[in-house]
Amino acid sequence: MADMDLEVWKGDWDLPSVDTNCLTVLFIKVHHMLYTSIMHVCCRHDSINIQMQVGRNSRMLYTCTLYIPRGLKYVQFIDNPEAYCKFSGVSIDIKATNNPRKSPTGCLPVLRHNGSAYTKVTDIFSYLRRKNWGIDFELNSKQSADILAFTSLLETKLLPAILHLWWGNSQVFIDITRPWYGSAVGFPQSLYVPNRMHKAATDRVETECYPHLEMTPQEKENLIYKEAQECITLLSKRLGNKPFFFGKTPSSLDAIVFGYLAPMLKAPLPVNPLSKHLGTCYNLCQLCSRILSKYFPLSREELEEKRKREEAEKARAQELGDFPHRTRNIVLAVLFALSSMVAFTFFTGMLALEIVDADGGGDNMSEPKGQGKRKS
Amino acid sequence: MTTLKEMVASAMTVELGAKEPWPDNVNLYQTYEAGQILLPDSASCLSVKAFLEMCGLKYSVVLRNNAEHMSPSGKVPFIQIGPFLISEFEPIIGFVNTKVHGFHLSANLDDTERAEMRAYMALVDNILVNAEHYISWCDATVLQTVTKPRYGSPYPWPLNKLVPLKKWYEETSRLKALGWSQKTLSEVCEEVQTCCQALSERLDKNNFFFGNRPTELDALVFGHLFTILTTPMPVNKLAEIVKNFDNLVHFCARIEQQYFSATEAS
Repeated sequence: MADMDLEVWKGDWDLPSVDTNCLTVLFIKVHHMLYTSIMHVCCRHDSINIQMQVGRNSRMLYTCTLYIPRGLKYVQFIDNPEAYCKFSGVSIDIKATNNPRKSPTGCLPVLRHNGSAYTKVTDIFSYLRRKNWGIDFELNSKQSADILAFTSLLETKLLPAILHLWWGNSQVFIDITRPWYGSAVGFPQSLYVPNRMHKAATDRVETECYPHLEMTPQEKENLIYKEAQECITLLSKRLGNKPFFFGKTPSSLDAIVFGYLAPMLKAPLPVNPLSKHLGTCYNLCQLCSRILSKYFPLSREELEEKRKREEAEKARAQELGDFPHRTRNIVLAVLFALSSMVAFTFFTGMLALEIVDADGGGDNMSEPKGQGKRKS
Repeated sequence: MTTLKEMVASAMTVELGAKEPWPDNVNLYQTYEAGQILLPDSASCLSVKAFLEMCGLKYSVVLRNNAEHMSPSGKVPFIQIGPFLISEFEPIIGFVNTKVHGFHLSANLDDTERAEMRAYMALVDNILVNAEHYISWCDATVLQTVTKPRYGSPYPWPLNKLVPLKKWYEETSRLKALGWSQKTLSEVCEEVQTCCQALSERLDKNNFFFGNRPTELDALVFGHLFTILTTPMPVNKLAEIVKNFDNLVHFCARIEQQYFSATEAS
C-alpha cells in the first residue's frame, strides 16, 4: 500500500505554505487528521500497523501494532487490504519540494499516488474523496452546488487581483515574490522559474481586461481591485456571524477562502490595496486566524524559531537605532580633538610656523620662530 | 459621444447619480443570427435580451456584421442608451440597476441571497461560457465546419481566411491563460455536467432561482442553456448534457414562452 505524496511550496510568515492552492489542500489534509487521527493502517498477515499523527509536526507520529492471532473471523477482512484502505484511508506524506519542474503542469501542489499525479485542486479533492478523505460529507447537494458557485466566484473575481498583487505589482514582485520563489527553488532554476510563473500570472490577469481597449495599467488595476473588493464583500455577507460558511464544521469552501486570504493577511507586503477593505470584513479575517490557530498551530520549534527571529530583528533595529548617535558622537569627538589641538598649537607658539609657511619664504625655518617669540 | 474608454469606465464604475427614465430609442447591436453569429456570442446576446425583457424595457435589435468591432469592449452585444455605449451582460445590468429608474430585478433579495446569486452568475461565466468558447474554437470539427466559415463570412476571399485565424489565435491564448485549452473534450463535458448539476440542484422545482420573481441569474442561465439546447452543432455533446436535466430544460421552455413568444407574435 503506497502512501500518497503531496508536493507543496514551503511555508513562511507563520503559514504552512505560501501558495493558495497548497494551503487549501493542506487544510483538507489537516482537517481529516484532526477528525480521524488514524493516519496510516498497514495490514500484514498477522498484524495491523496503525499510525497516528497529531498536529502538523511529523515528529509527533505514533505507531502501534496490533497482532492478530490466526483463525479469527475477521481475517478475511484483513486479507483484503484494499477494502481496509478504502475504509480507513492512507496517509499523505507532505513534501515541501519547492520544485515545480517535476510536476506535470509545472505547478504545485501535486498529489501522487500509485503512479498517477493530480495537480488541480478540484481533481485532488475528488481523488481524496474517492479515497474517503475529504471534508464535505455532511453537506447536502444544494450546499455542494453553492460551494461550486462560490469557488467560481473566487476564481473569476478574486484570483486575478491576487495574482496581480503578487506578480503584477512591480514593487511586491521585486521585493517579495521573486526573491522568495527564487530562494525556494534554488540556484539554476531561480533564473527562470519565477519569470515563468510571472508570465503565467500576468497572462491570466490580462484575460480579465478588455484586450481591445487601450486601458492604462492604472485603469486595469482599478478594475481588477474593484471586482475583488466586491467579491470579498459578498463572501463576508455570505459568512455572516457563522463560524464557518456552512455552520459549525468547516467545508471545502472554508479551505479555499482560507487559501486565498491567508497569504495576503500574513505576508509582509510593502503595498496591499486590498488590506484596507479586508480589514473592514472582520469576520473573514477572524475565519482565517481561527483556522490558522486551530489547524496549523506553530510547533514548539517553530515558536522558538519565531522568537529568535523576532529577537534578532529587534536587536538589528536597536543597532540601527543606535548607529546614527554613534557616528554623531565620533564626529563630535573628532571635532573636539581637532579644535583643541589647533587651540593648543595656537597658544604654544607653533602657530607662527604656519603663517610663515603660507608666506612661502626660502629661509623660513629661523624667521618664524623669531617672529613668534617676539609676539609672545 | 464620449470616447469608448470613458464609456466602459462609466459602465464599470457606475456612480450613483440621478436616476433617469429609460429612453425609447435604445438599440441592441449584434451580429447576424442566420449565418454569422457564434455560439458564445449568441448566448450572451440572448441573456441580455432576456434580462431586458424581464425588466420590461423596450429595445430594438440592430444587426451589423461588424458589431464586434463597434463594441467598446470588442464583444457583442452592446446597447446604445442616449450617449452611452455599454457592452456585455454585467455592465448592462450594472447600468440598468443603478441608473435607470425603477428597474432592479434583485432589489428584494437579502444580502446572502444576492451573494449567492452573484456566485452562481460567476459559475455560469466560469464554466458554461468557457465551454462554449472551447467548443467553438478548440474543437477541430466545429472550428473547421462552423466557426471559421461563419466568422469569416462578412469578408471577401483572403480576409475570410485571415480574420478567423487572428481571432482563433486570440481565443486560444485566452483559453490557455485560463487553463482551458489543455483540457480534453471529455474533461470539458465533465465540467459542464457539474455546472448543470449545481444549477439544477439550486433551481430544484421552483419557477425561478430566487423566489417567485426572475433575477439576473435567470436571464443569464436562460441565455446560455437555451442557446446550447437549440443551436445545431456537429459536436452536440453540450446539448446532450443539458438535456439530462429535466428541470433546466423546463425552465428554459418556460422563460421562452413567458418573455419571448409574445414579442415574436407582435
